Amino acid sequence: MTLLRSAVLCATLLLSAPALAAEVGQPAPAFDLKDEVGVSHALDQYRGKIVILEWTNPECPFVQRHYGGKTMQRTLASFAGKKVVWLAVDSTSHNTPAKSKAWKAEQGFPYPVLQDQSGEVGQAYGAKTTPHMFIIDEKGVLRYAGGIDDDPRGRSATPTNYVEKAVNALVTGKAVSPSTSDPYGCSVKYGKSS
Amino acid sequence: MLPTVLAAWLLSLTVASAPAPTPTASGALSEGKPRVRATLVSDVTQVEPGGTFRLGVQLQMARGWYVYWRNPGEAGLATEVVWDVPRVTVGPLSWPAPEVHRSPDGSITSYGYGGEVVLFASARAQPDVKAPLTVVATTELLVCEVQCIPARLELTRVLGVGPRQGDAAGSAALDASAHRVPRPPATAGLRVTVRRTTSFVPGQPFEGELTVERTDGSPEPLVRADAFVPERLPGILTVLAIPDGNGRLRLWGKATPDPSTTPPRIAGVVALASGGAVEVSAPFELPPGLAPHSAATQPPRPERTPGLPWMLLLAFLGGVLLNAMPCVFPVLALKAYGFARTVHADNGSVRAHALAYTGGILASLLALAGAVLALRAAGHAVGWGFQFQEPLFVAVLCGVVLLFALNLLGVFELTPPSHGTESLVAAVDHTHGPLRSVGEGVLAVVLATPCSAPLLGTAVGFAFAASAPVVLAVFAAVGLGLAAPFCALVLVPGLRTRLPRPGAWMERGKQLLGFALLGTGVWLVGILGSLAGVDGMVRLLAFLVVVALAAWSWGAWRRSPVLVGGLVLVLVAGWGTLRFTTAPAAMAGREAWSDEAVARILAQGRPVLVDFTADWCLSCKFNERTVLAAEQVQSALARTRTQLLVADWTRRDPAIARRLAAHGRAGVPMYLVYSPARPDQPEVLPELLTLDTVVSALERAVAAPGELGLSSPPR
Repeated sequence: MTLLRSAVLCATLLLSAPALAAEVGQPAPAFDLKDEVGVSHALDQYRGKIVILEWTNPECPFVQRHYGGKTMQRTLASFAGKKVVWLAVDSTSHNTPAKSKAWKAEQGFPYPVLQDQSGEVGQAYGAKTTPHMFIIDEKGVLRYAGGIDDDPRGRSATPTNYVEKAVNALVTGKAVSPSTSDPYGCSVKYGKSS
Repeated sequence: MLPTVLAAWLLSLTVASAPAPTPTASGALSEGKPRVRATLVSDVTQVEPGGTFRLGVQLQMARGWYVYWRNPGEAGLATEVVWDVPRVTVGPLSWPAPEVHRSPDGSITSYGYGGEVVLFASARAQPDVKAPLTVVATTELLVCEVQCIPARLELTRVLGVGPRQGDAAGSAALDASAHRVPRPPATAGLRVTVRRTTSFVPGQPFEGELTVERTDGSPEPLVRADAFVPERLPGILTVLAIPDGNGRLRLWGKATPDPSTTPPRIAGVVALASGGAVEVSAPFELPPGLAPHSAATQPPRPERTPGLPWMLLLAFLGGVLLNAMPCVFPVLALKAYGFARTVHADNGSVRAHALAYTGGILASLLALAGAVLALRAAGHAVGWGFQFQEPLFVAVLCGVVLLFALNLLGVFELTPPSHGTESLVAAVDHTHGPLRSVGEGVLAVVLATPCSAPLLGTAVGFAFAASAPVVLAVFAAVGLGLAAPFCALVLVPGLRTRLPRPGAWMERGKQLLGFALLGTGVWLVGILGSLAGVDGMVRLLAFLVVVALAAWSWGAWRRSPVLVGGLVLVLVAGWGTLRFTTAPAAMAGREAWSDEAVARILAQGRPVLVDFTADWCLSCKFNERTVLAAEQVQSALARTRTQLLVADWTRRDPAIARRLAAHGRAGVPMYLVYSPARPDQPEVLPELLTLDTVVSALERAVAAPGELGLSSPPR
């Protein structure tokens, strides 16, 4: 059975990898997801604002490290006064809105946690890790995909925050550089058939 | 020193080394159990001053848990070992070839080790090395099963200094690990070459080849699945390698949107079928003299490239078989009728007809080949029957078919005005001049293209991926095959005498064939309807009425001014009516094909049958109605839980063209059956389906046993 499953998985990659999902420079895949309290969030409704998507999973040590160090909260705070929307997305197949609610209360962050247990939106964006960051500009075009920063081991005292860099480039009309980086962290725990 | 945040994070999640320094530590607690255990190993217990020795960290993972390679892949974190050995220089870490691991849904690939692994390095003691020698190895790793747990393990071991004294157990562990480290190709008697076949543009797809051959030139077989594990490569977002079984890997990938400061390189590990692995690191360049083409439009070459003579033979036989396909049949009947008339005339006249017919076929096929080459040079993806994706072409063809039909029905004659006293036989003769034979040859080709016959798909697919002379040669071979049955009638005298003698029945026969051609016209109108909607169909029918009016006036008056007036009328009407806007495809009720859909369904453990079809493809429609829609097939689909996906090529679609090309085809129909057990090796069914082929292919897809290379995940 393991052999059979592995064979399926191999080929899944072979077949799906050449057609990458979301691409930097292309319109970002549309979505309409409910958050942890049941409020709908569609990408369309945020046209005119910069949208930051953060793939998250409270069980992942990398996410825990960034929340422990308030990386996400501080990054969002640095955009005060700019038209920026931060949406966390949880594609973990076994997580629940209650779990997101508890995590939000514990960490005290202000933004919603979109519930994508089917993994559909995660797959459409090609989200691989938690955290994995995507930045969409005012016109709905994907401008950045990758890690939150250049410090997978949490070792640098002054890591380069790619999300801050990208958003600041977008608001000043400059090209985003880098527009991709290697995301790091736990793999997104998709269900078997998402 | 680590920032306090990280230190707290690590401490909270790991059991670091025991209070007293030990060569062994466990960590990464989950459900109260450590998931990884690390031991510091050395091949000596006593180090010789100035001598070399080896140091390693042996990692033992709990069942189902794994740690990461130096490129963790799409998720995870590379394992890291930091050495602290006073007055000893420790070299870079050696990594055994990694295993490929995939998330349960198959969408996330990572590289690492389950079970046990030893990461090691060679070390050189300075002459002034002090005794006792305290070796400290700090290992930072992420160990994952479903959950991931980071661990930091500090290992300490004290070695003596003096004459070298071996450590048998340590040596054995290090030797075993060294065996698994990829070798440089030269030491394995191999040569690895990497070349690019496309341009390399930021943000764009690229393609290339990686070849592994023995130094004597023979190919080295590679493990089929996951033969290549890449390093993290600057400027490259993803790269995927598909082995073709002959020591060659086709590379597909995508460049990062940001231009890289360094020229692209391909580096990584290639697993060999004979066991072991070799390392690759080479510039990813376009060989001189090879023009780059865009990876987006260029269909990949067929995986197997058999010889040209064999392909020409296939093309010829395919051409012969085309005669029996439903789209050519009306023309065939027409020609047969013409032959019935002429065969009893002298040999010279028959020969002229056969030559004219063959010439018409060859000229139009070569024109088609020229069009294919021109479009290909302009960067378009084209295939067999591509012209039926163009509404204007369908409309004009429909007009021609109508003219042929009206001519057969006697509405008009192309011959000079007759004076009423002609015999029936002479009238028939007039309608069958050599020029007419040329026209029939052209029409046969034009109508033949939406049909694909057995063997033809392979040959044309081969041609479409080949050079210009090969395209021309293959098309010419198809033409000769198409004309062959009539040439046989000429060359084999005995055959001709068996045809019925001409008589009054021929006039009725001719008119009957006119109706058959009108039927062909109905089919063409239907195609246009699917391309351009009801509006397009109405426009075409209006145009056809004008064409018929012009033909009728020529037939009634037979004067040059009438002919000229008729032509002008047709052109004006054409200008006014033949403007089509292509409607979007409606795929209601059928699941549309995409590579993602195939992958998704296979991941559910279900087989997939893909029907590559087009509305203008008669063979496709025939197969769909007589075989795919049949109850036996439908119940076999349900029984095997197979999903039928439809790839509709009625309109241009580069994704479909690429998939056809990947299987060496340039046109529809094509039928692929994917088995979840062998997802990278779909079975290609013949162009003409039978109930048996489909049902047994579906059953094989369910029964097929798994075949795997080195990719079994550590579970």
